Amino acid sequence: MKKLLKTTSFITLSSIALCANSTSDAKLDAMTLEIEKLQKEIKELKTQQKEIKNNQEENYSYIEEVEAKQFRDKIHFSLGFKTNLDNFQKKYTDGHKVHSNNIWSTKLMLNMQADITKNMNFYGRLSMYKYWGSSSIHPFTYYDNMQGRVPADSGLYVERAYINWFLTPDSALPMTLTIGRQPSSDGPSNQFKDNTVRKGTYSALLYDGAADGVVLSSDLSKLTSIPNTVLRIGYAKGYAYSESSSFATNAFVGPANNDVDDTNVLGVFLDTSLKGVENSLIQLSYSRMFDIIANPLDTNTTGHNNPNIGSVDMYGAMIELTNFQDSNFDIFAQFGCSVAHPNGKSYTVMGHKIGLLSQNGERSSKTGYAAWIGGRYGFGEKQKYKIGMEYNYGSKNWINLTQGSFDIYNKLATRGNAYETYFMYVINRYANLRLGYIYVDYHYTRSGWFVGKSQAINSTSSPATTVKSLDSLYLKMNVHF
Amino acid sequence: MKLLIVFTLLSIITVEASEAQAIALAESLHLSAGSKAIVQWERIFQSPRKMKRYKIDTLSKKDQEILKEYLVDHAIDSDKPTIAGI
Repeated sequence: MKKLLKTTSFITLSSIALCANSTSDAKLDAMTLEIEKLQKEIKELKTQQKEIKNNQEENYSYIEEVEAKQFRDKIHFSLGFKTNLDNFQKKYTDGHKVHSNNIWSTKLMLNMQADITKNMNFYGRLSMYKYWGSSSIHPFTYYDNMQGRVPADSGLYVERAYINWFLTPDSALPMTLTIGRQPSSDGPSNQFKDNTVRKGTYSALLYDGAADGVVLSSDLSKLTSIPNTVLRIGYAKGYAYSESSSFATNAFVGPANNDVDDTNVLGVFLDTSLKGVENSLIQLSYSRMFDIIANPLDTNTTGHNNPNIGSVDMYGAMIELTNFQDSNFDIFAQFGCSVAHPNGKSYTVMGHKIGLLSQNGERSSKTGYAAWIGGRYGFGEKQKYKIGMEYNYGSKNWINLTQGSFDIYNKLATRGNAYETYFMYVINRYANLRLGYIYVDYHYTRSGWFVGKSQAINSTSSPATTVKSLDSLYLKMNVHF
Repeated sequence: MKLLIVFTLLSIITVEASEAQAIALAESLHLSAGSKAIVQWERIFQSPRKMKRYKIDTLSKKDQEILKEYLVDHAIDSDKPTIAGI
């Protein structure tokens, strides 16, 4: 019995041991399999990682290629495109009317921008502006400040080309030198009508056109703690003598003469904003035009019939509030004053001796002034619709530098009253349609002209050729992309 | 003129979201508007995954709209002012 018991016990223990061994082996096998599986997965992951790394390196070379192409494209272009349909009627002082309807025009603007270095960039604009079905040159296209600004032929004119040289960008007083054909057109507050951001430096009531010059801008924002406070001192050349015949015997030494001086312009402009009011602009300015030439297009100066006729001082003050207090309202008010100083010299045309806002050798100074107010309101989803109104008044001797205005009527040079109202439909971020109406009621003659004495419209000696009022219904499409 | 004064007063009373608010939101999320093009910003705001990546999803719907408007308006290819010295 004892032996049997020992034997049974031995068999039981052996069985248990065997069973235990068998379980451990199974677990071990399972673990081994798991490890092998994990090792395989790790291997696969490593392979994948290697592939990703290879792909990344490959992608990096593509990115570098794209970057290199980006750097090779040194000038970035953007598009400006305007198409206008104008219908206007002129009423002359003698009562007769002339209608000009269905007048189409297109302006193409190729805007250029290049970052030359961290401290230097370039901007330019090539423009074509023409009436449909016509490539006739506007008689004043040859005025330097009107090139590319008034309808002419289908040629491209250089409307802007300037370098910004940031002299002291990181200092408390950043200063920038702007050299070349300046951003002196389409200035405030014209951007509301075009539904763009500010596209020019100077008040459009005083200056609108191309201008070659040098401007030193000093950013006073840090020193004054008032955002967007910039003081600008500018020099521009209004007229330079370059009669082609003067090169005949001096082909390589440049034009020169002793009869007329170049017209030079000096100005000082202060931009600032209302503290605490976002998107506000205040601009105060003073400029002086020296030695204004009677007729920049008449190069026959040798007979002393095209002399310098005097100088003009121009003062300006404006305020502009864009989306005032998030109300969807944009409002502006501008004021200008011009003081002309004729020197008594005259330009003779058809027997009349005309000088700077004067005739027959007058020398007394002539003061003129103008005001321009307006507003725009946006409504509907994402301000898809906008309505705007503008009014400007100019006095008898008001004179400004807006001969290069995009507006073919040069509305802001009016000596009298001008009204404009428009409705705008914003097609998308880049394009809009504008339906508008302009009415101009002239009180005095020769609006926009530096030469000749202004007269009351009703006492003009040539009523058949003097426009008393003008009204225009227009439709415009603007695209900026 | 009276209408203008009324609208002006009303607008002062109803001061809402400002650009300063949008700038603060962008800064809090370390987003620079000029780092991307308009289409790229729009793409981000259309993708919940990308919004999460830039933590834009943590903002309220209204703040998201304010931020999107600011980023798109100041994107690298947005309409920029052209002024001497800028």
